[in-house]
Amino acid sequence: MIRAYEKEVSWKAGGLAIAVHLALLGALLISFNWKAAHPVLNVTEVELWDSLPTRVVKPIPSVKEPTVKPVRKPEPIVKEEPKEEPKELPKIDIALEKKKKELEQRKIEDQLKKEKNLEQKKQLEALKAEALNDDVQKPVKVNKPSDALKKLQQEALAEEKTTGDQQALSAKAAANAGVVDEYKSKIQAKIHGNVNKSLCGDGNPVLKFDIGLFPTGELSGNPTLTKSSGNAACDEAVERAIMASQPLPLPNDPSLFSQFRNLKLTFKPND
Amino acid sequence: MTVSVANDMSIFSLVAGASLPVQAVLVILILTSLFSWWYIFIKLATVKHAETNADDFEKAFWSGGDLNKLFEGLAASRRKPQGMASIFEAGFKEYVRHKQKTHIDMSDVMEGSRRAMRATYNREMDDLDAHLPFLASVGSVSPYIGLFGTVWGIMNAFRGLSNVAQATLSQVAPGIAEALVATAIGLFAAIPAVIAYNRFASSVDRLSVRYESFMEEFTNILQRKS
Repeated sequence: MIRAYEKEVSWKAGGLAIAVHLALLGALLISFNWKAAHPVLNVTEVELWDSLPTRVVKPIPSVKEPTVKPVRKPEPIVKEEPKEEPKELPKIDIALEKKKKELEQRKIEDQLKKEKNLEQKKQLEALKAEALNDDVQKPVKVNKPSDALKKLQQEALAEEKTTGDQQALSAKAAANAGVVDEYKSKIQAKIHGNVNKSLCGDGNPVLKFDIGLFPTGELSGNPTLTKSSGNAACDEAVERAIMASQPLPLPNDPSLFSQFRNLKLTFKPND
Repeated sequence: MTVSVANDMSIFSLVAGASLPVQAVLVILILTSLFSWWYIFIKLATVKHAETNADDFEKAFWSGGDLNKLFEGLAASRRKPQGMASIFEAGFKEYVRHKQKTHIDMSDVMEGSRRAMRATYNREMDDLDAHLPFLASVGSVSPYIGLFGTVWGIMNAFRGLSNVAQATLSQVAPGIAEALVATAIGLFAAIPAVIAYNRFASSVDRLSVRYESFMEEFTNILQRKS
């Protein structure tokens, strides 16, 4: 190991060698701690994402409004020829809206037809009664019912719009529910794929976890175990799988994120 | 908003999470590094000591004093003479011993004195060269040991990746980081060892040249004296 004449310096040299290694360890610790602080930067990124949904939601109504407006605009043009109007409007509505509106529209049409028949009968009677003044009275009598028609049509249109909007909203909600379910199952599948099933034994353990998410799909905190499988190793395996599955898949529509902020997930690792 | 860092990447958790061969490599490398630094500091002290000894002795030798007095002074001191002084002591002792026997030829006296100095010189050179082969081995081999630990760790990291459906960087990153610690420590052991080896090798070469030239000069002085 060391020579006899080296013994007098060996203790000093050993102390210096240990000091050098402690210095290296200190340098490593400082540099690694500096790196460990890096994830804090991600938090600020998450907060930036939070502000996005309000921006993105606004454009959607603004896009839809123009599609409704074209229905309104044709009205004044169509109103000039009362007889054609009822036929044209339903076509536009069919193209845009759904069957219910058609039915309503047809009812209105029927009413309009009845009214027209009445008008025609009246006109015929009037013609018979006053054969001489035909030309003068006709336009006046036709015009009056046309005002009533306009009112009726406008009312009908307003109703359609409100009912149509409600239907659109409910349809959208239904579609959203589908998307939410789809992504919940995607999250489950992703975590399920990361579970080390060999730790969960042969039975069919059931676990429940509460997890919080950021809009980036990362966990906002540690997952909390709400129902244990009874096997601590299995619980830990699932928790690790949740950690390992970050970022979790989330729908692109930021307005749906509120449904994912806090998730209650049920796992059956052996399924 | 507080966020728990899922896997904290402190050096301790990295080492604790490493697989057994990687940990063994780390332990070996830390031990070699400790030993190499220990030897570096020992050699730093001893080589410096030998250089100052040679300086002091040359000053005393060439000051023109009596060689007998110099020899007696060395023999009387409690410490065993080192380096150039020990070569002088061995040569002069052998010379005096042969000189007392009057029937011996002068060339035999010189030859005996020379042999004694050569033997002491070899012993001194052996002491000066001590630990240099260890530093050379550490300098050349410890990067390979570290690389072995790294390769092993990365192999494990990728093998773990094959078991999961969706591979993400965060699943391999800790494994690779802990594997790279092995290379880092291997390099930390190797770099100073190589630098120290080169420095000490050149110092020892210069000392050996000084010793050899002193031997030649001293032989000449003895020859003149006789």
